[in-house]
Amino acid sequence: MTITESATDTVSSAADRWIVVGSSTNPEAELAVREALAPIVDRVDPKLTIIFCSPAYNLAEISRLVQATVGAGEVIGCSTAGELLRNHPMNGGLLIWALGGDGFAVTTGVGLGDPATGLRDAANTAAQCLRRLERKEHTLLFLLADGLCGDQMEVVRGAYDVSGAGVPLMGGCAGDDMALQATQQIHSGELLTHAVVAAAITSNAPMAIGIAHGWEPLSEAMLVTGSRGTTLESLDDRPALDVYLDTYDAPPEVRNDPAAFFDFAHTRPVGIARRNRTEIRYVYGADYERRTLTIFAEVPQGAMAYLMHGNSASVLNATAEVCALAEEALGGQPARGFMLLECVARKSLLSNAGLLEESLKLPTVAPNTTVGGFYTYGEIARTEGSGGLHNQTVVALALA
Amino acid sequence: MSTAPWSLHVLSEVLAAFTVQSPTALRDVVSRVAEAVDAEITAIVRHQGTFELCVGLEDQDKPLLAAAVAERLPVLSLAGELLHLFWSPLDGGDVMVVGRFREDYTLEERALLRAMGRSIQLSTQVLAALKAEQEALRAEKEAKHLAIREATIDALTGLPNRRCLLAHLGAGLADRSGGRDQLGLLFIDLDRFKHINDVYGHSTGDAYLQAVGLALGHFRDSDTFVGRLAGDEFIVIVANTDQGILTDLAERILKCLNQPWVIGGRVLHYSASIGVALAEPDDRPQDLLDKADLAMYSIKQQGPGRYACFEPYMLDQARRKADLETEIRSALRHDEVISFFQPIISAAHGGVVGFEGLARWLHPGRGLLAPIDFIEVAEEAGLLRDLDARILRDACFSLTGWQSVQQGFSPRLSINLSAASLQDPALIERVADTLAASGFEARNLLLEVTETSLVKDVERAQHNIVNLKKLGVKLAVDDFGTGYSSLRYLRQFPVGMLKIDRSFVSGLGQNHDDDIIVETIIRMAASLGIQVVAEGVETADQRTILCRLGCDFLQGYLLGHPLDSPMSERLFARSEQRMLQLGRDTF
Repeated sequence: MTITESATDTVSSAADRWIVVGSSTNPEAELAVREALAPIVDRVDPKLTIIFCSPAYNLAEISRLVQATVGAGEVIGCSTAGELLRNHPMNGGLLIWALGGDGFAVTTGVGLGDPATGLRDAANTAAQCLRRLERKEHTLLFLLADGLCGDQMEVVRGAYDVSGAGVPLMGGCAGDDMALQATQQIHSGELLTHAVVAAAITSNAPMAIGIAHGWEPLSEAMLVTGSRGTTLESLDDRPALDVYLDTYDAPPEVRNDPAAFFDFAHTRPVGIARRNRTEIRYVYGADYERRTLTIFAEVPQGAMAYLMHGNSASVLNATAEVCALAEEALGGQPARGFMLLECVARKSLLSNAGLLEESLKLPTVAPNTTVGGFYTYGEIARTEGSGGLHNQTVVALALA
Repeated sequence: MSTAPWSLHVLSEVLAAFTVQSPTALRDVVSRVAEAVDAEITAIVRHQGTFELCVGLEDQDKPLLAAAVAERLPVLSLAGELLHLFWSPLDGGDVMVVGRFREDYTLEERALLRAMGRSIQLSTQVLAALKAEQEALRAEKEAKHLAIREATIDALTGLPNRRCLLAHLGAGLADRSGGRDQLGLLFIDLDRFKHINDVYGHSTGDAYLQAVGLALGHFRDSDTFVGRLAGDEFIVIVANTDQGILTDLAERILKCLNQPWVIGGRVLHYSASIGVALAEPDDRPQDLLDKADLAMYSIKQQGPGRYACFEPYMLDQARRKADLETEIRSALRHDEVISFFQPIISAAHGGVVGFEGLARWLHPGRGLLAPIDFIEVAEEAGLLRDLDARILRDACFSLTGWQSVQQGFSPRLSINLSAASLQDPALIERVADTLAASGFEARNLLLEVTETSLVKDVERAQHNIVNLKKLGVKLAVDDFGTGYSSLRYLRQFPVGMLKIDRSFVSGLGQNHDDDIIVETIIRMAASLGIQVVAEGVETADQRTILCRLGCDFLQGYLLGHPLDSPMSERLFARSEQRMLQLGRDTF
């Protein structure tokens, strides 16, 4: 017997705005879509429907079914490394996050890249939807990108070229349930890979972004003396892999077994020192011959870097903290809904410690507030400066 | 944890970031500068206030920043927040500007931003050189592309040109030999295209060709290649095809091209003819083109707006024609074309009053050939003027060589003049030279033209007709009654003779309509003071009727076959003897 579950997390609505999340783990695509869309189908004036879907499903079928049900409303989405509801982490499920009503307006865009040239131009193309948006008082650009197509930082750069400093960026990199083979993106019923999809969202109420990770520096600050793209070559003129293994006092199997290294590095990221924060970079491989580290996004040569560490206790509260940070930034207005994008590595850490559900209790979030999101391969949150790509971090979008 | 100086890592990052290897990397560099100092905005502003590059600023805010830079303001209020500016001078008054919201720059950062500026200065110099190099490469590439385009694309229609067509055809034939399906070709020729240019002007003709090219372009697909061969000729090359597909395509194209066209506000009713050919195994590009061309030519002769498929007999026919054309040219060079003379007699007394000079070809292998055996090919080859000139000269010299003529008894001489000769600017000079050289009297020469050639392109013929009259040469209208039969040109031009077409004469006494037509022509001519010759008189009854109707002169086998010059001279001499006994009539 197949055990399935479906849920309508909550429905938050003001007179002219509503935010809804629905989900399902029914293995039948048609039934899963029906269950996940149940809280949405009767809503008036859907503006944006976002699909977060496990690659266990046929995403082409899912996207077609959702688009057919939603009709003229904008639909984007991506594959995930897990989905999350409040109190309720999911694996292999379908989660649909939607907003609508007169208080919102949305345009969407898509850009295609390739592994050779990366995603900067793709992100730039997708972000052009911002230019078609008739803006209300508050605007942000939401991005979903291929998490396995070159330097993830290029997504932020490409989008920032269009958005400029006036429009915050928020989003995540698609996952594939940690297979690390290929991720998928959805735009208007079409299934894509090596793509960036974007939704320019404007609202007559505030929208705000929170960022938290809970990692702490373990090492001294080191100068990044060699870095090229996603390959970190040297720190303080020493081979990066040697510095990494020595700093963490890695056990012998980690020093020559890629699989053991992968598991080991999962909870040992690199941090880049920024003006008033540390941006986290996910280490996901090692080249034992060249003695280099492979990183999800660029660690700029010349930057100051730390080797970070954390434990379940240090990262446990980040999810709750990030929601509080985002809601605080709403200027006193209560959040009606949250979008949570959390790194899959944090999920592993918390899951191993049996604290995953605990992390999603979100004590600062009001009980009737909609919460939904997915576990990502990289998080995008730019509120100041012109950077904004994060790994092993949780970012929250709060909408008043 | 100890911390390294902020300045150290920023400087290091910036210097690393400025390892610029291409102009397109400048945006990356500028992005990295902004990221390095955690600023929102970085821009390179030219001294004129224009932006070379700008990261983080929307278009509507750029003038504000440019103004702030011009005045070297340290802060700018933007979107309700203070943007702290740092500007670093570059070459020629240009500046690099870095803007950060809310937080001013430390002294270290300021010093480092100056260093960034110097790095950018160096980079932009390198970039300028790289850009110039790339621009030169781009220009060269564009020029090459343009040259290729000009060499392969027809400038008027935008379709592939002859060169490109032949290359494609050659490649297609080569591919086909590798075992693919058949290759076919449609040769499209626009009917009466010259007429459009002549009547509506070349701009309309060009617009028509463009419209046709556009229409044909819609027939392109993965197997179908369309191009303009030359002038009003278009080619469609079809791969993976068979006869059925080709004829279906030809029908569809004709349906499209035979519709009325609206060009420059005018509705043009024109059509096209199409020749269809399927490649044989050994066909070269030109072979296939020739076959389709032959098929097109063959169907065009039968009427406009149709298509025909190539048949092997067309090729044999064409080869025979080509051989014949060569032989005609040779015959004209070697005086194998000579004059025969058919007598024209007086209806009143039966004496010979003149001759019609007729072309005969003394073919070295085939014997004596009548015009019907070669005149069509000569016309297609544009040899009629040479042929006319040859017969005029030969006939004039022959007659002036006759003894009786030398004794003062001159017969009238009729020579056929083609439409091409009538419109030839050199006609008058040629006739005058011939008359002068041969000593033949102009008043005894009649140049026979058809009604059609007289009426067609009257303006171009007018000059020659007027000057022939000045020379004293008259016109005879040949085959009268079969063409326009317009009274107007009989009055307009110096027509001295009408020749009633043999088709009317043959019906005399048997077809009442022919009796009436012949009688009407004779009466009309008499009232205009024009003499009449009846052609093709072959029976005594016809002669009797013509004499009764008042016809002036008779010509036909009943009265004499065409003969060579010596025999004609003897015939004339005998007739002169008889006329001396009876009294002379005038011709």
